[in-house]
Amino acid sequence: MEIILVKFKKTIKKLLKSESTAHPGVTKIGDTKPLKTRLHENIQFIKENLGNSSDLIIREIRISKKNNIKLAIFYTDGLADTQSLNNFVLEPLMLEMRKMEFDQDIYSNPNVALQLMKDEVLTVSGITDVVDFDTLLTTILEGDIVILMDGSAWGLKVGMRGWEDRGVQEPSAQTVIRGPKEGFSESIRTNTALIRRRIKDPNLWLETKQIGERTKTDVALMFIKGIVNDKVLDEVHKRLDRINIDGILESGYIEELIQDETYTPFPTVYNTERPDAIAAGLLEGRIAILVDGTPFVLLVPALFGQFLQSSEDYYQRWDISNLIRLLRYIALAISLLGPSLYIAVTTFHQEMLPTPLLISLAAQREGVPFPAFVEALLMEVTFEILREAGVRMPRAIGQAVSIVGALVIGQAAVEAGIVSAAMVIVVAITAISSFVIPSFNMAISIRILRFGLMGFAASFGLLGVTLGLIAILLHMSSLRSFGVPYMSPFGPFNPSDQKDMIFRVPIGKMLTRPHLISQKNETRGQNEPASKPERE
Amino acid sequence: MIKRKFYYALVSIITLTMLTGCWSRTELNELAITVALGIDQSGDQFKVSAQVVNPGEVASQKGGSGNSPVATYTATGETVYEAIRKMTTKVPRKIYGAHLRLLVIGEELASGKGIGKALDLLSRDPELRTDFYIVVAKETTAEQVLKILSIPLERIPANKIFQSLETSEKAWAATAGVTIDELISDLVSKGHQPLLTGIQIFGDPKSGESTESLQRSSTEPVLTFADMAAFKQDKLIGWLNERESKGANYITNKVHSTIVSIPCTRDGMLGIEVVRSKTKVSGSVKNGVPKMNVSVQAEANVGEVECSEVDLSKKDTIAELESKTEEDIKRKIEAAITKAQADFKTDIFGFGEVIHREDPKYWNQYKMKWNEEFVELPVKVDVDIKIRRSGSVGNSFLKSLKE
Repeated sequence: MEIILVKFKKTIKKLLKSESTAHPGVTKIGDTKPLKTRLHENIQFIKENLGNSSDLIIREIRISKKNNIKLAIFYTDGLADTQSLNNFVLEPLMLEMRKMEFDQDIYSNPNVALQLMKDEVLTVSGITDVVDFDTLLTTILEGDIVILMDGSAWGLKVGMRGWEDRGVQEPSAQTVIRGPKEGFSESIRTNTALIRRRIKDPNLWLETKQIGERTKTDVALMFIKGIVNDKVLDEVHKRLDRINIDGILESGYIEELIQDETYTPFPTVYNTERPDAIAAGLLEGRIAILVDGTPFVLLVPALFGQFLQSSEDYYQRWDISNLIRLLRYIALAISLLGPSLYIAVTTFHQEMLPTPLLISLAAQREGVPFPAFVEALLMEVTFEILREAGVRMPRAIGQAVSIVGALVIGQAAVEAGIVSAAMVIVVAITAISSFVIPSFNMAISIRILRFGLMGFAASFGLLGVTLGLIAILLHMSSLRSFGVPYMSPFGPFNPSDQKDMIFRVPIGKMLTRPHLISQKNETRGQNEPASKPERE
Repeated sequence: MIKRKFYYALVSIITLTMLTGCWSRTELNELAITVALGIDQSGDQFKVSAQVVNPGEVASQKGGSGNSPVATYTATGETVYEAIRKMTTKVPRKIYGAHLRLLVIGEELASGKGIGKALDLLSRDPELRTDFYIVVAKETTAEQVLKILSIPLERIPANKIFQSLETSEKAWAATAGVTIDELISDLVSKGHQPLLTGIQIFGDPKSGESTESLQRSSTEPVLTFADMAAFKQDKLIGWLNERESKGANYITNKVHSTIVSIPCTRDGMLGIEVVRSKTKVSGSVKNGVPKMNVSVQAEANVGEVECSEVDLSKKDTIAELESKTEEDIKRKIEAAITKAQADFKTDIFGFGEVIHREDPKYWNQYKMKWNEEFVELPVKVDVDIKIRRSGSVGNSFLKSLKE
């Protein structure tokens, strides 16, 4: 009886010990524990480390009738492609391998058997060896499968990722009339493929690193060797390596962690959903940063002018594009200055208005209780609320909100005499103009600045607006994006880069890359004007 | 530490901007938009009237409630500025003059105290623009002119006057829109005396003051531009009638387009439309005697033919019409010169300035008594008219009617 008790105590102690040794085994990065020879020990270790998660699938099989050699396949349910797993791993191992004849008795030595599987049996493309637990766990969690054999202290990592994916769809944020309708998706592989499909140049290099201690997010750098500015590339490397964070969930994390200036309303990193925009950037010598799990790809260095350009500018004929660009600049000006100019002119500089307009505006303001500034602020904030509600709310309620917005805010507010009709017009045109700016983050920056300028206009009139604009311009001139001045090619001025900034010249005349992005390999091509056929 | 200082600075800047308030900010509905000012003499003082727009009435889409589109306020003061400020006791809002279209000067003030003293404020005040026109109320007061409401087509009387002056200046040529800059430069010039358009009320002025007059289709009482006021220094000295006004405008090169009526050989009249008229005034001093030369070159079209015997297809006819037109214009110019020389004895045409440019030495000698020289000044008038077109028909149908 005592003996049994002592034995029991010992086993409990053992169990506790094994628990206590296994438990801190929530593996840390750099902790490269080698695999064990015994399969069940390995299985035990993996199970413990993944906390017995139910989506971890361990499939144990026997590969030979004669020898009792066991084999285990590990994968995460939902991340690995089970169809391929059945066809290209299980079927060869369980059916075909038995029919095959080998020179030696492979089943006596598990290491030989494993090597043979890798070399002759498995009909899959990506196979590498796994020797430590750290890689093993990462492999399983990335969606690949791991094959371990009893008796060998290494395993096979088989590339078999395949999860439910949104697929390549039309970009939702940056739409074009003419141009490719493909957009990036959440899968980094798809995204790199989309870029590769556009640039089939061996010099298009791809570097991948994992960032995020826990999320282990794949982050890829793409650039064209020989065009890219090495200094900028080094800087990007340096900044990416400096990141120390537990998780990267969207490229916005990377953007904020590597941007030059945090306290500025202006974005210094460009982001897009469009592969063609990224390809164009790469050809100009920029660097693309792709982050797994988001369709938004970053592009650096990013200059101010870039945020006002759309990829369609290059697909439409140049005259049309230039008119559209002109329109965009007007929209930018309205979006930035609309309400502030209205406030300044109507409360400080009434002499600037034509008399009939002044009388008409004055008539609309009769009975409006608030000063123009408060009135404008009220309407602008209301619009911002409506806009934000439109983005966040469930689709089904959208219509209700737009009715409330249009009727209540627009018409009823005017009829009730709370705001003047002219102010509604100003706010509406400002709101619409802000959506003309092709890049959403720049549109937001402009919107923020608009509020500041409204304050200036309300306190100092046009003088205040001018001061505000000067301050903004000074600030913008001080910004840099990865060492490249934000306002280039205006400040510093570069005559040759003007070819594609305010307006763009016909593509046949855009023969050099932007000088400030990269100084290498500047010539893009030689284009003689098309020779006209002789008249008959 | 630096961060802390930065925050202190930030907070104080933000609070300071709040404390400044909004310097010279005025909301639109705090303004009394003044479209016309009238200045009269009232004893020793100035009587200033202001025509203020009632925006709700003017801009309303529904036609308004039948209230008066404008209100006219009057105040008296030692100076014009004093009078305007005194007006705040009657007007609920601040008189805002940047949109002034018209300044009316009463005849009594013009011929009595003179207009000079009244004009300083209007040229000094930065709020006022310089693009309003100045007219003289003939045989009435400025106040009375501003009180007339019965003006169809345009809800604001001052606007009507302004536009009508601009149109008639361009198409009729017997009026001239004079802005304050031009007027003051004429006032200080020894060789060019001011000439302002007159405005007159026809009909009973009292009945035009109420909004009822807006409902009638007849335009009585009516404000009309009539004659032009000639000044000697800043004092009104006499009126040029319509013919003479036109003549004066020919000399000062203010004619853009006008109609010349010439009699046919037998009966009826012929209307010639003058377009593109250009006047060159040149002067010379020979042996201490100044001489002027006015030459008018203009193109004209045949605008209206009431005579049956005129054959426009003949070259001779055109030549005859040309010489008749030239004669008519020449007579108008000469009439204006005669009136200015004989009656007013004041150089309203700016001949003195021409002489000044031509012979500065002579001018320096005689500028103080130029008006006396002007009376004796021989003026040679040349008119050269070229008739270009005859409208969309050739000969008048009256001609076929007769045959």
